[in-house]
Amino acid sequence: MHGALKMSAAVGRVLSQQMRQSLKVLKSLAGKKNRCFSASVPIPKEGSVSNNEQKSVNRGKSADPLECRFMYPEFLPDPKPEYRNSLREKLERADMMARRSKIDIPEFYVGSILAVTVSDPHAPGKSNRFVGICIKRSGCGLRANFILRNVVDNQGVEVLYELYDPTIQKIDCLRLEKRLDNELLYLRDAPEEYSTFSFDMEPEIIPEGTPVPVNDLKVTLKPQPWLEKWERKDLKGVRDIVVNQKREMKAKAALKPWEKYDLMKIYRETIPEEEQKEIFAEVYSDLHNLEITRQKMKRQRTFIRPKKSG
Amino acid sequence: MNQANVTHLVSKLKFNIRPTPRRLKNKDGPPGRVLKIQKTLTALFEYERIELFYNRADEVRGYAERLISEAIRRGPEDHEMMDLANFWIIRKEFVHKLFKVYVPRYQDYSIAYTKLHKAPRLYPGIYYKRAVLELRGNPYPSIEQRNAHSNVLLHNLLLSEARKEYRMEKYKEIAESMNEREVTSQ
Repeated sequence: MHGALKMSAAVGRVLSQQMRQSLKVLKSLAGKKNRCFSASVPIPKEGSVSNNEQKSVNRGKSADPLECRFMYPEFLPDPKPEYRNSLREKLERADMMARRSKIDIPEFYVGSILAVTVSDPHAPGKSNRFVGICIKRSGCGLRANFILRNVVDNQGVEVLYELYDPTIQKIDCLRLEKRLDNELLYLRDAPEEYSTFSFDMEPEIIPEGTPVPVNDLKVTLKPQPWLEKWERKDLKGVRDIVVNQKREMKAKAALKPWEKYDLMKIYRETIPEEEQKEIFAEVYSDLHNLEITRQKMKRQRTFIRPKKSG
Repeated sequence: MNQANVTHLVSKLKFNIRPTPRRLKNKDGPPGRVLKIQKTLTALFEYERIELFYNRADEVRGYAERLISEAIRRGPEDHEMMDLANFWIIRKEFVHKLFKVYVPRYQDYSIAYTKLHKAPRLYPGIYYKRAVLELRGNPYPSIEQRNAHSNVLLHNLLLSEARKEYRMEKYKEIAESMNEREVTSQ
């Protein structure tokens, strides 16, 4: 009995120590200058620079903390009640912010093209760079992950990266855009040209303040067999899915038209507004500060001193 | 591990919900379940207090609360909201009642809009738990009976005082009669 008490006290002490440390990190975030790793942005033409400088509106900055939910969905906990634990969630958020202060994790969505550099002890330069299109984002908290897909030597390659993996050295968003669907897993059954991206692709710069562009590209799938029953998924990014009559009938039978009205299903899959507000109020100012430092870095990198003419 | 769906913003429900939905077993499967909920929900909006099996009452409670909270959030001008209301409420007049009666009634509520009471099961009869589901603020007398014998209630207080007074009077009378007897015997 006594031992158990001692044990629990010790655990409590360790926890509180961790919390204090993470709090310290959070506090020091605001004061610290940027420590972004990425510096490989090429110098664009002068015209685009002036365009960038004119628009001082920050794309990442939104007046409403609730708007963060699209940009940082991993800060919201898993809606499944058996996985909820308010203390763990809070600690995880503190750890995520601590990691974000060390490495610049850019804004990206499913459909964006990313370049990820990870430490790899077996690689020649001890690091490995992979470029690909993000086809899925899942997981929440420290376990948030994303899948990059590319075609290398006519072979489809997919790599699942964890967003807060300490072996990740750098994440670059080469092309920031959204696609019509929330998951692009159908690219696995699409022709290779839709998921082929050059490894020496240069980052495209979008002027600040513009909304994230939506690429309304529609792909045509390869002939069957497919990995999944795409005709049942209601995909907006696929042109015309032709299947035989039997499969069509089955797809029709499997339709669930009432699901979009199922209020409790919607409720069980999401986090209520009140809780979201609480969560984002906690991290909003720190995220906002990080965003500002990133924007400053970008501007420093892209700014070219004008030459004297004449 | 899943990511929370962020496309819909919902208000928090003010009572504890089950982590998983009930299937409400029936021969038509999931569409039959939806039909059951639609019927019960319409009845609830019509009568404001209904007695039914506990499982179905608990399942419908969530849908009723969500529908009212969505109606408060979005209002009758929203097309999607109107679609929702038309889907769940089978009879048109109760769609009107939802926006004209329930939305103003529950706008400033900080507690749940419905109340679920456990009801005694029928004996002899089907051994399913029964419940009474009601919308709060309905015109009927309260279902919950407070302890009628509680001594903080005013009528019980008055009765006990009256009883005390009566007893004191009786004692006085007895004492007086005993005194008289003593006087006469001497």
